[in-house]
Amino acid sequence: MIALALRAASDAPAPFVTRLTRKPDSDPALSHFLAATQAGSLWSGAQGLFEVASAAEDLIGDVVLVDPFEGRADRLIRSASRHNTLVVTEQCDQLCAMCSQPPKKTHVDRFDLLETACLLADQGITIGISGGEPTLHRARLFAMLESVLEARPDLTFHVLSNAQHFTADDALRLRSPCYRNVVWGIPVYAADAASHDAIVGKAGAFERLMVSFTHLLRAGARIELRTVLSSSTAERLDTLASFIARNLAHIEQWSVMGLENIGFARSRWSELHLDLRRDFDAVSKALDRAILHGIRPRLFNIPLCHVPEAYRSYAVASISDWKQRFSDKCAPCAARPDCSGFFEWHPPELVEEVFPL
Amino acid sequence: MGKSADASCMTASASAHAMAAPAQSPSVPWITRRIGRHVLHVDAAGRFLLSDHDLRNRAERGHLTLYEHERLTESGLLVEGELGRLSQRLAAQQRRFHPGELDYLILVPTLRCNLACSYCQVSRAAEGASGYDWSDETRDAVIDLVRRTRARHLKIEFQGGEPTLRCDLIEAVIDAVPPHVEATFVICTNLQQVPPEAAALFDRENVSISTSLDGPREHHARQRGQDDAASEAFESNLDRLLTRYGPGKISALPTLDPRSPPDPDELIDAYARRGLTAIYLRPINYQGFARRQHADCRTTDARWLEYHEAFIRRLIERNWKDRSICLEESYFSLLLRRIFRPGEDRHVDLRNPNPFGTDFIVIDHDGLAYPTDEARMLARSGIIDLSIGNIRQGWNTPARDALNAASTCDGDPDCEACTYKPFCGRDIVDDISRYGTIDIPRHETEFCRRHLHLFDLAFELIHSPDPAIQYSLCRWLGLGGDRLPAERLS
Repeated sequence: MIALALRAASDAPAPFVTRLTRKPDSDPALSHFLAATQAGSLWSGAQGLFEVASAAEDLIGDVVLVDPFEGRADRLIRSASRHNTLVVTEQCDQLCAMCSQPPKKTHVDRFDLLETACLLADQGITIGISGGEPTLHRARLFAMLESVLEARPDLTFHVLSNAQHFTADDALRLRSPCYRNVVWGIPVYAADAASHDAIVGKAGAFERLMVSFTHLLRAGARIELRTVLSSSTAERLDTLASFIARNLAHIEQWSVMGLENIGFARSRWSELHLDLRRDFDAVSKALDRAILHGIRPRLFNIPLCHVPEAYRSYAVASISDWKQRFSDKCAPCAARPDCSGFFEWHPPELVEEVFPL
Repeated sequence: MGKSADASCMTASASAHAMAAPAQSPSVPWITRRIGRHVLHVDAAGRFLLSDHDLRNRAERGHLTLYEHERLTESGLLVEGELGRLSQRLAAQQRRFHPGELDYLILVPTLRCNLACSYCQVSRAAEGASGYDWSDETRDAVIDLVRRTRARHLKIEFQGGEPTLRCDLIEAVIDAVPPHVEATFVICTNLQQVPPEAAALFDRENVSISTSLDGPREHHARQRGQDDAASEAFESNLDRLLTRYGPGKISALPTLDPRSPPDPDELIDAYARRGLTAIYLRPINYQGFARRQHADCRTTDARWLEYHEAFIRRLIERNWKDRSICLEESYFSLLLRRIFRPGEDRHVDLRNPNPFGTDFIVIDHDGLAYPTDEARMLARSGIIDLSIGNIRQGWNTPARDALNAASTCDGDPDCEACTYKPFCGRDIVDDISRYGTIDIPRHETEFCRRHLHLFDLAFELIHSPDPAIQYSLCRWLGLGGDRLPAERLS
């Protein structure tokens, strides 16, 4: 695992965002490397000196948020990584059965700092926005996306949202050309309200989701649908595929995702977990239906050896580098570079259930 | 298999009546057609359901059974809620072609050729003739067009004549593509000779090769008026390139005389044993030399349709018996994709509307711009000048507008009443080529009869329970399973 939060020390009067560079630079948004220290590395920038508990080599090019009060540096945007996600809030109005990051009640507004971080990002990258539910703070979120994209049209945002809050007015706003660089990642778990609502833990969620979809469709918004595979979603997956083909064929991608053994799913693992090596039939039928109608499916978080050969081309090496794990048995596997592997927190006995391709 | 169109297509007033009963009524009219003993229902979004009975009357009156209602909803012919209505309207719009940037160029750097095939479609010029290559001015204008491209992806096809006689021009065009543009190039060559400069072009990763392979050697030779040695030279060039690159880089298509097409198995074998899996059956069309030499071709349409269908059925049998190779007839695969996927519009001869001089253009050896390659051939053979401009002044011309006003199925009484309109298209150049006019009833055209036949076949196969048929359809549509997820109502 790669640590995203590091111990840090700084005398700055307030949290700040900076990008770490090797050499001094006149740009006040940058901080440069001064010296290696016992704890890690010492840096100098407009906010004075600060120390981070990591070797400089690993941090060069990273955009970090240094919080002097917490004594912490968050690596918000790592230069070498394709997986950078900013958490804009930890509040959420759904309680999904398989939530990997259970929500908190309070909200700390960091939008200004996150905006600064985005402006310092490498050219052309995609920045993930996640939560909690980002659209609970819609006005702040939209303002951040718009102002970053005005200054940095090279960037793309991928915003994970439960789509419970989009309005007709939003549809007008989201027609702005800058939103061509924003993809909304939206979970949908079933084609019927009862099943979907039960999974997301909110009555009326499905109906509100459909309302949001009409607003997003009118806005021409780019959408990625996400469905987490569990014992409760798999049996309805083909019906969902049919629903998507009829009502949501304009989406850019349908991501069908393996369950993550963390958060709420951890305590209900045995109930929710689906052994795809045995039970892939429901998935393959749904994938075929999507493909037939020109919808692009993708399989996330599923090791290639758990996917029948005919569907392997849809599997993505999706698990972020900092939380990815392989079994020792994976060593001789030729497909490993293209494989998602497992989450670091996958049940250890299941990680061994692989075979090299 | 029933091939007669259902005459009782839904009228405008019937659809207005249907709107009055919102609970169960289609928000767009369905058009029906008999397929064997069943009735196919299709809407403008191309959604369909096969049923034992015509359901329109009962749908209009709100007398559908719960089961029928469910199946119609699953098929998308009945929609649920605002999202369903919007999506259906969007899908109906996506069934129409919306042109984007110019991103497909067919370039003819020379009209000269080292062969003189009996069916030559391009009225080729002799290999040593002069005045049949791009002038310097034309070359520079083409290069300028390529340099100024606004497309992110560009496809450039080099035709002839035999384009490898002017590899220098091909190379100049390839080198003119801006670095940020993802470009692919197709060199259409007879592979009679592969000069070293052509071999060097073929080596480039983004260059692919397209050639003609008319079947077994004797057949291929006869078509081209060649002796055995010349045919052998072609075959050895083809096989050498296949060994070097594998089948992914090379495509071939047979040009067939519909009066005497080769035995399907012999033709298939000529492809299959080389690992070439896609066969695009192309009957000789009546232009250029071919128009003068094969004048009786016009009456052989029906026999050709039978051959085409038999060929597809033979592919299905072979695919079922030998799973190690999956063969397809490319045009039939295209029709299948168009049935299931709105927006499958990159085949420029089958889409609606089909405006010329938008996303693709043909530039001839003399710099004239043509709407299609067939239009160029018509002009070359002196039948009708369908050029719409030239490389220097462009093609935003009254001639183009005149063609585009007619290049659509919309408003045509036959097309508007046709079940297959969402999947079909318009090719007015084909009509002009065959009949000298576009002003004859659609159902009397070869284009219409051929597509009715093929779509009938497609829908029969889609709904067939035969596992061999389902297996091939799944392969042709790129599915992983062995059975199409398409339901019927019975």
